[in-house]
Amino acid sequence: MTNTWYLYVFFAAALVFAGILGLLAKRNLIKLFICIEVIGKGISLLLVATGLAKASLLTAQALAITYIVIEVSLVATALALIINIYRHTKSLDVRRLAKLKG
Amino acid sequence: MIILFIVLPLVVAGILPLAGRLSRRVLPDLLANATLLALVVYAAVAGRSLIAGGPVLLQPSWLGETIGLRLGLDGFSLFMLMAVSVVGFAACLFSINYMEHYGSKATFYALYLVMMAGMNGLVLASDLFSVYVFLEVAAVASYALVAYGLGHDELEAAFKYLMLSVVGSAFVVAAVAVIYGMTGALDFAAVAAGLRELNAGPVVAIASAFFLFGFGLKAALVPFHAWLPDAHPSAPAPISAVLSGLLIKVSGVYAMTRIFLNVFGLTPALSTVMMWMGIVSLVVAAFLALGQKDMKRMLAYSSISQVGYIVLGIGIGTPLGIAGGLFHLFNHALAKGLLFLTSGSVQQATGTRDLDEMGGLAKRMPVTAATNLVGALSIAGVPPLNGFWSKLLIIVALVQAGHGAFAVVAVLASVLTLWYYLLMQRKAFFGKLNAKWAGVKEAPFWMTASTVLLALLCVGIGIFFSSTITTWIQPAADVLADGLHAVTGSWGF
Amino acid sequence: MILQTALLIGLVIFAALAILLRDLLKSAIALAVASLLLGIIFFRMNAPYAGAFEISVVAGLITVLFVLTIALTKTGEEVRESKLVNVAFPVVFVAFIVIDALVMKGLIGKIPALAAGAETGSFGDVLWKARTYDLVGQIAVILAGVFAVLALFRKREKND
Repeated sequence: MTNTWYLYVFFAAALVFAGILGLLAKRNLIKLFICIEVIGKGISLLLVATGLAKASLLTAQALAITYIVIEVSLVATALALIINIYRHTKSLDVRRLAKLKG
Repeated sequence: MIILFIVLPLVVAGILPLAGRLSRRVLPDLLANATLLALVVYAAVAGRSLIAGGPVLLQPSWLGETIGLRLGLDGFSLFMLMAVSVVGFAACLFSINYMEHYGSKATFYALYLVMMAGMNGLVLASDLFSVYVFLEVAAVASYALVAYGLGHDELEAAFKYLMLSVVGSAFVVAAVAVIYGMTGALDFAAVAAGLRELNAGPVVAIASAFFLFGFGLKAALVPFHAWLPDAHPSAPAPISAVLSGLLIKVSGVYAMTRIFLNVFGLTPALSTVMMWMGIVSLVVAAFLALGQKDMKRMLAYSSISQVGYIVLGIGIGTPLGIAGGLFHLFNHALAKGLLFLTSGSVQQATGTRDLDEMGGLAKRMPVTAATNLVGALSIAGVPPLNGFWSKLLIIVALVQAGHGAFAVVAVLASVLTLWYYLLMQRKAFFGKLNAKWAGVKEAPFWMTASTVLLALLCVGIGIFFSSTITTWIQPAADVLADGLHAVTGSWGF
Repeated sequence: MILQTALLIGLVIFAALAILLRDLLKSAIALAVASLLLGIIFFRMNAPYAGAFEISVVAGLITVLFVLTIALTKTGEEVRESKLVNVAFPVVFVAFIVIDALVMKGLIGKIPALAAGAETGSFGDVLWKARTYDLVGQIAVILAGVFAVLALFRKREKND
């Protein structure tokens, strides 16, 4: 693997970690979803960087585009859920969602 | 035309909103159920002849031109298609009555069919990234389906499910990217060949760890199970049935098994990890199920426990163990699907899921009580029902492979399982009839019909277990036991 | 390469800002800027299609969806985040960066890879012919999203 791949993976890992850290730390529902978006950025960076390293950028871009389309559907569904939760609890605090114990 | 398994549900889902406008109930009911029935029949009748010569990569053609789709059909994927179609059809039948009060049936069926298409698509994929894509298709549909009732609990459960699930998916893609980086390919055959050439043990181990996290979360293996006990009870009963009976197995167990056994090859390390994850899930979830008062929550914990059993069986790696694991997957899909459906009947009749509030329902709902008993005994592993044979296979495989201690633990956990299921049966159905339920009636026609169908299958497979094993399970187990050869051999293009 | 590294650092900084900023709207804008930077990074990697998609869809469409949601859920009271997080997050994050850098440095050359074959065809060929199955998946996931939104925002006739 070319050395630049490791550089990109370094940043991708940083993004994914930042997102996960945010998921653990934040309480606002919309914020939590922004953390998921950050993780998504890390992953798409990883995909394209891998394509660059293998000189197969076209395939990697196709993968990244598919990933982004999936992300859009996910965002739409999640935000619809959040708006519904807001209508119920009048709040965006994830601590209000502690009825079920898991 | 195996592509129908994906395209047909999608097309019907697409026209369902139109159908919903023409007729609120009848046309959507008819369309959705006819589609799934067609798939069941097709899988049962035509499927086996297609794979008579071994695994095939089907390339459909459109108006003479071949499309770049390569659908992998072999014993394992056909087996999964069969399981998905049967349980999917039964739950859809159930929905005809159950989903009356939820509103917007056409949208429900549309989401349901998209989820089915996603699961079928995953099973037929022959490419690592496509596995991910269809995993997400089924997942996005399932988030909305869990939240379908739009009550506080459902929304909370769906949100937590979504959050955890997305993190799992991210790790799956990361693992796929690493594998792509090493081998330069995504399809199973090329990846398997490439990895064998590279001999990159530690990196494959890291990718496997990522896959274990991602797929383990989808399969709700301990310690990634936290989302399931909230999501499955809150969802409408037919969705709980499909989630517990199918989705956790398709997105979790199937994906993990396909990649670990056919693409990576089952190393002793992987086998040990799978077996330990399996046994831990089996035991921990069984204990957690004991204290549950909510009927569906108990069933949810039981699902985690039984998936542990399945992963334990497959993790052994021997042909007998794999066969036992797969057979249990099928039996659990049928039985747990059945149990969630009957719990839906009970919930609709009494308005509660609390076992302590129920009592003596067998007098007013005899059919439901009987089918529930069949499902409970099946999962608990009581002969001559189907669950008994699959559990027996796994235990024998454990002993044969020299894992006597695992076998003892598995047997003890089975006893525990039997205990809490009998407890559930007694609390809900037997005993004195609680005065509150004096006016309760048996569940409506389609709900009872679908549960009877699944119960008959449980009994039938239990009696004819050996022919079921030879026709459906053995081809699947053979494909997995073949390891890398299954994908690099006749699949290679 | 220097510019690329600077852009990558900018990406991480704006992503962290998106997570840490208190005001939701500012968060959304920080996320949009991060997406913009990622799009530019893709362009410079010779991946124009990914770059265009990232900018138009993620920096554009998804940001609009976020802003819409933020507008629809404006409460009088803000969600109070833990104060500890504002200190703990940077500390833990920097610690991770250090470990990350060391791990990546250590892994250089350690991950084996097969020699890359030449890629044939145009982007259209690759997307439509090689990844056709993914396209079917895309259609399916879009259907899933559409029906999900329809289901979650449907009118309830009677309350039960």
